[in-house]
Amino acid sequence: MTTRPTIRSLWWLIHKDLMRELRAQHVWPGMVLLGLVIVFLLATQIDLPLDERSRVGGGLLWLAIFFSGTLACERSFAGERDAGCWQALTLYPVAPSVLFLAKMAVNLAALAILELVLVPAFIILSDIPFGAQLGPLLLIAALGNLGFAAVGTLVSGLTSGLRQRSGLMTLLLLPLMVPVVLAAAESTRIALVGPIDALWWRWIQLLAVFAAVFTVVGALLFEFVMEE
Amino acid sequence: MKSIESDRPSPGMLIGGAVTTCLVFASVWMIFFVAPTEATMGDVQRIVYVHVPIAWCGLAGCVVMGISSAIYLVRRDLKWDYRSQAAGEIGWLCSTLTLATGSAWAHEAWGTWWTWEPRLTLSLVLWIIYAGLFLVRSSIEDPYRRARIVGVLSIVGMSDVPMVLMATRWFRGVHPIAPEMEPRMKLVLWVSVISFTALFVLLAAVRRRQLETAERITQLEVADWSAGVASQS
Repeated sequence: MTTRPTIRSLWWLIHKDLMRELRAQHVWPGMVLLGLVIVFLLATQIDLPLDERSRVGGGLLWLAIFFSGTLACERSFAGERDAGCWQALTLYPVAPSVLFLAKMAVNLAALAILELVLVPAFIILSDIPFGAQLGPLLLIAALGNLGFAAVGTLVSGLTSGLRQRSGLMTLLLLPLMVPVVLAAAESTRIALVGPIDALWWRWIQLLAVFAAVFTVVGALLFEFVMEE
Repeated sequence: MKSIESDRPSPGMLIGGAVTTCLVFASVWMIFFVAPTEATMGDVQRIVYVHVPIAWCGLAGCVVMGISSAIYLVRRDLKWDYRSQAAGEIGWLCSTLTLATGSAWAHEAWGTWWTWEPRLTLSLVLWIIYAGLFLVRSSIEDPYRRARIVGVLSIVGMSDVPMVLMATRWFRGVHPIAPEMEPRMKLVLWVSVISFTALFVLLAAVRRRQLETAERITQLEVADWSAGVASQS
């Protein structure tokens, strides 16, 4: 398969999912609302001095993003199963890795939209000055989203055909996501309260390695996920 | 199809079992009567001679599970899934004991049963990954589908192992890394590592045989039932 048709297939797969979501709005509104509720509940619990708030705020924000983002990942394949589209999906003349990357890209878009809403809401409610370190925080968000979307897409594909898929998806995804949550929370804390030092770069390296490894592993293993 | 008679333990397994039993008894004896009492922590430090070997077995179980699953995905032979399951179950048992013994040690050393130290946190994550895989296993009836899905997850779960190993170095944790030890302490630790590894291999082998036997019994029952249906019709 040559590069150009592959990229075109990738784009059409992404386009299909984005159009479906824009028309039916099955998942994203619920996901954003869930995220807002979590952010609201967390923000009410951090009535602390500013330095203490900055210390814990990043971790709480990432927890809110990842908890609500799980909903988008879970639905990315469950929707195909529910609508009876799984067979059609397996018959597409594209490599399974392309399908994985397309689903991952849609989940990345969902996470980006979620963050566009949740981060300003959290800044307003918690009064933590996230804007002071915009560059480092954008880097953390980009790498954290990549890692989350890669693992989320893979686990969602695996559990989509199972009984109790929702519970199992959360149970499997959250432990696998612990390194990302830890790295994102710690690097955000360092960016907010201290100088950008070698330890901060260590956490960023972990996020980058995690994202790269799981994108490659997911693309390679997706062939086995698609089997019936 | 092999007969159930052939499931009697092989001479190799019997000899392995005898050697492993001797090794485990020798290591327990050495822990209490050969290893000197540590100056700061006293007798509590002897937990280390059990904690380190079973922690190693817990990590090895995850790696064996992942590699066996990868071989299953390539060869599609269920015996590799049984190996994966057996290694996973024994690995999970070791992982549970690692958390328990580590917690007892931490209570004396750090004054707390638990702290969110990077290695401890990632060891708990490993335990949850094992538990999640068992839940997935129990929720799928078709053995080939179960082996495929659990196989992919096992390979992904293996990613936690290097993080557990490197956590303290990477993230400046407080968990001890290769502390200085007196030669007799090192000897006892190595004997413990060897004996617990042998025990891990033996238990995993016994469990794998159990799983294979259970599968053969199921096949015989299905064949018997099919023959019954055919004779009635």
